[in-house]
Amino acid sequence: MEQPSSIAEHGAQVKVTFTTTEEDIQLPESKRQLLVPADIRRYGLSRILNSETMLDTGAAIPFDFLVNGSFLRTSLEDYLQGNGLSLETNLTLQYVRSLIPPTFEASFEHDDWVSAVDVLSATSAAGRWSADRFQHGQDRILSGSYDGLLRIWNASGQVIATSPSSGHGGHSASIKAARFLSSSQVASAGMDRTVKVWKYTESDHFTGELKPTLELYGHTGSIDSLEVDGASKRILTASADGSVGFWTTSKASAPEVDASLLPGASSTKRRKISSSVTAAQRGPLAMLVVHNAPATAAVFDPKDRTVAYSVSQDHTVRTLDLTTGLVVSTLTTSHPLLSLCAIPRASAPLLAAGTSARHVTLIDPRASATTTSVMTLRGHTNKVVSLAASPDNDYSLVSGAHDGTCMIWDLRSVRPATKDEGLGSVSEPAYIIERESRQGKKKAVAGDGCKVFSVVWDKLGIFSGGEDKKIQINKGRDVVA
Amino acid sequence: MAPRMVDKKRKAPAAATPEPQSDDEFQDGVFEGALSQSESDDEDFEIAVSDDDDESESDGEGSGDDNGDEDDGFLSDDIPSDDEAISKGMKDVEITEPGVDPKVEEKEDENLGYKTEKDANGGIRYVYEEIDPVYDSDDSDAQGPENTIGDIPLSFYDSYPHIGYDINGKKIMRPAAGDALQNLLDSIEVPKGWTGLTDINTGNPLNLTDEELELVRRVQMGLVPGDLHDPYPDTVEYFTGIEEKMPLSSAPEPKRRFLPSKNEAKQIMKLVRAIREGRILPYKPPEERQREEEEQEEVHFDLWQNEEAQEPNPMHIPAPKLPPPGYDLSYNPPQEYLPTKEEREEWEKTDPEEREKEYVPQKYDALRKVPAWDDLVKSRFERCMDLYLAPRVRKNRLNIDPNSLLPKLPSPSELKPFPTVTQTIFRGHVGRVRSVAIDPSGTTVASGGDDGTVRVWELLTGRQIWSVKLSSDEPVNAVRWRPTKDSFILAAAAGEDVFLMIPSHASVTPTLDQASRDILAAGFGYATNGQQHGEPGKEPAAKWARPGARLEDEGVLIRITVRSQVKVINWHRRGDHFTTVSPSGQRSSVAIHTLSKHMTQIPFRKLSGLAQTAAFHPLRPLFFVATQRTIRCYDLQKLELVKVCQPGAKWISSFDIHPGGDNLIVGSYDKRLLWHDLDLSTRPYKTMRFHSEAIRTVRYHRGGLPLFADASDDGTVQIFHGKVPSDQLENPTIVPVKMLKGHKVVNKLGVLDLDWHPREPWCVSAGADGTIRLWM
Repeated sequence: MEQPSSIAEHGAQVKVTFTTTEEDIQLPESKRQLLVPADIRRYGLSRILNSETMLDTGAAIPFDFLVNGSFLRTSLEDYLQGNGLSLETNLTLQYVRSLIPPTFEASFEHDDWVSAVDVLSATSAAGRWSADRFQHGQDRILSGSYDGLLRIWNASGQVIATSPSSGHGGHSASIKAARFLSSSQVASAGMDRTVKVWKYTESDHFTGELKPTLELYGHTGSIDSLEVDGASKRILTASADGSVGFWTTSKASAPEVDASLLPGASSTKRRKISSSVTAAQRGPLAMLVVHNAPATAAVFDPKDRTVAYSVSQDHTVRTLDLTTGLVVSTLTTSHPLLSLCAIPRASAPLLAAGTSARHVTLIDPRASATTTSVMTLRGHTNKVVSLAASPDNDYSLVSGAHDGTCMIWDLRSVRPATKDEGLGSVSEPAYIIERESRQGKKKAVAGDGCKVFSVVWDKLGIFSGGEDKKIQINKGRDVVA
Repeated sequence: MAPRMVDKKRKAPAAATPEPQSDDEFQDGVFEGALSQSESDDEDFEIAVSDDDDESESDGEGSGDDNGDEDDGFLSDDIPSDDEAISKGMKDVEITEPGVDPKVEEKEDENLGYKTEKDANGGIRYVYEEIDPVYDSDDSDAQGPENTIGDIPLSFYDSYPHIGYDINGKKIMRPAAGDALQNLLDSIEVPKGWTGLTDINTGNPLNLTDEELELVRRVQMGLVPGDLHDPYPDTVEYFTGIEEKMPLSSAPEPKRRFLPSKNEAKQIMKLVRAIREGRILPYKPPEERQREEEEQEEVHFDLWQNEEAQEPNPMHIPAPKLPPPGYDLSYNPPQEYLPTKEEREEWEKTDPEEREKEYVPQKYDALRKVPAWDDLVKSRFERCMDLYLAPRVRKNRLNIDPNSLLPKLPSPSELKPFPTVTQTIFRGHVGRVRSVAIDPSGTTVASGGDDGTVRVWELLTGRQIWSVKLSSDEPVNAVRWRPTKDSFILAAAAGEDVFLMIPSHASVTPTLDQASRDILAAGFGYATNGQQHGEPGKEPAAKWARPGARLEDEGVLIRITVRSQVKVINWHRRGDHFTTVSPSGQRSSVAIHTLSKHMTQIPFRKLSGLAQTAAFHPLRPLFFVATQRTIRCYDLQKLELVKVCQPGAKWISSFDIHPGGDNLIVGSYDKRLLWHDLDLSTRPYKTMRFHSEAIRTVRYHRGGLPLFADASDDGTVQIFHGKVPSDQLENPTIVPVKMLKGHKVVNKLGVLDLDWHPREPWCVSAGADGTIRLWM
């Protein structure tokens, strides 16, 4: 105990080299090498970088430091000792904007399990699609619930609008997915096999109305996932019947519906649905029956909206050409896949797929890729059913799983897989967001009562809905720098 | 003696032969004479020369003698020495040469060595020359002429010119006495060695030589006389080491020296043999030999290399221990051992080989009354025959490590995937969940429990999406989906009723819903049209009816009422038939229902034992019925019993047939899990006892994964890897891979039912604690 302190007193120093991948905070070449005290920690290093002689940032930017692919969490001296290195080692420190823990901000109570969450904000996709029609500051949160209702909340947690019940044009069963198409349009889908497009109007900023405008029929099973493209007004759905639906929200261009799928098509239907509000009923632009097990998610390519990716419980990821409706390529993994998100990258998107085997596998969908699975994100203890990419960058994502946690992953922090984990590289979560409702309680077995069903990540925050009938909002900005 | 002999010889030839010369020559030098004899005949001159040589030779010798004692010359002027005489003779010859016939004279002088003189009588007298015997000059004993006058005083010869005679009778002349002056001088100047005495023998003054003086001195000094005495003389060798050039013997070489020696031949043969046999090796320099030895590795031979361990005495096999003799062998056995008359008769009647005992106990009063053993020879013979025909054989006991007999089972980690943890808990049932089933599409789960409800759940999330209450007092004992995808029909049993329902939640399309309704409704028409089974008066096996408006609204469309409580439902793979088993139903415990005809048949009029469960074969038209102890397999087409399996369990609880159709797993209430290979045997291939409580359910995975599971009252589900090889000759591999713990044991009931997902390695289990769990 005496030894290290005495060394520190004598001013043991470590030679470090600062590097970064971020252009805006590059250090001049001459200042990159520095001798720092051995007992310095992250905070000290961050202050050194922020000092006038170094970066001269006006407002201090908190930095984190990556040493050999892992974040520096101890003093330099302890790190060196822990890794059996000498004090003379020249350490290369990659500095990144520090991760601010995704602290809990708010919870919105629901009547039933929350199965779908989406955000309308200036930075969200829907906000961008609606462009000038979006009023700044009027951020809205959309939630779909197992009680079949859509709710729209403002940022302070007040319900602004609720969708009508099934008798009045609403969903007749649980909603499984919902998305803002724009600031005035919402799409939702659920176990009643229909996609509904709603018109959302606000009289003032505290009351609004959701009116069904379009009912899209075509799936023969529960629709588990829904992805929208507000710019082209296209909807992509994945259903338990193994098909991927491709829809349009425009009444005029949508094809006619197949009458056999309409409710009440069977003469002996026990309950007549007498809907006071009638919405137009339309069919799909394309119904791609591509999977032979329930399709669990489908997403658009972030760059090319005519390309989609879909995953299924049949272990495959399929690249779909939406214009021709053909399967371009099929990648087979070793586990049933339950969720999907596309992380935009320069060349081709990186697909993150959540599996029933409690991990997230990152897949390069290009046909030229040598390995299917690029990386595995391990840490969840239950099915990973929801994934969302970071709004800020292309190397972090959040995953929601049935174990009642959301995990934030930094794809830059990588280690090689151990033998049990198989080949490839593995990452571990940067942050774990527990359910606030489980605070102080014993960890639930198999996420019983606190499953997360949906998660979105916007600059407003990380919104997750789950079995605890809550939308939980965590701070989402600068979580991963 | 020698000179005399020579004289005689000389005389004889001198007289006999005209050429005494040759004798002379011979005398002088044997060798020279022999050589010169041939030449001397012709040439005189030559002879003369040779004579001259002779003379000079002898002269040389004589002079040597003279030199030996100088005093002789001085003292004896008158008496000429031999040399002088010779030289005188020579001179004489020369002198007389002119007077006498020189030739003759010359001849005589030169050849003979004597002079002829005229004696008194005028006769020729030969005066011979003094013969020099030529004694060895180094003979020290021959010291001049010895006076032989004997022991008389010398003074007797004072008046004579001589003083005595030598050995040859010649006068020894008195030495000339020197003149007075000389004597005086001599006396004054005493010469060395002067004694003043006169030698008796010679009459000369006796002077001592240096040696003698030295000798005298030494005697006087008391030293060893004579320094000639060498106390350390050289060894005189008796045998010379000098090799002679010429043999001393001229004897002819013996013949044997020219014949090959037999002995040597023998010795050589010995050597040859030794060389051939390698006992003698050709010579090599020691360093080379050493090098070769170094090159040759030292080779050691392990004599006991292939030695097998032997028993100390392999021939000894101990005889089996015979039982000790009993009382009945005694000569005086107790009364109860003695046979009765009937027994004896019977013994006598039976064939000797079939007799239980070879003897009959007999009683004698005393040992001496025991007769001789009449069967001695026979028994000896039989003993010998035994030894000959049935010798004792040592039984080889197998000594095998029991661990090596265990099959090589793969590690569970290699057998992934299989379910490992709970991933979803389905909550909602009140009381036990008695049955659970996953629908053919793999998205929903149906369950039935003690609360009389049937519930349908979303598989992954655990959301209940449909439910119906079938009965308020009877538990739902079984739920089973119709195993086809073209319909969505669930069969559930509550009490004596079997309900067929369409749990048509929102995800069921109207088409599917309608198709299912059509399937269920089809039989009503049949029932009304063609007066089905059942002779009038006889109670039908089951009553098919609509369950009533309330249930029909919920989707329950048909109620089948059988005679007793139904515990098990199993569908045929095509979905048209299903079987129900009511263990308490006696005769009608097993029923086969035909959906399309709304018909129920009771296939067995009589069953041996209580039927527990029944199932259709997955591929062939076979029907399996399990009673408490056995599983019977019937052919449905031929209507006959095909096979009876006897698992050996005391009370079978459930069984399942492998999708391949050739294997069977059986669970029993006595905690046993048994694997039957139907082709192999009626007995189980493998018995596993891993549970501490009764096994309720066993179930194969039907989606192509080699998995099966059993559920037990101890609250666990055990997952097994059970691979049935395609090759008929190989045995199935059965590896327990996982024990799933999670369900609580309530009232000694744990897990009551389980089912596998149709594709994935997921299973659901129904617990007595009111939950259903999804394991993946």
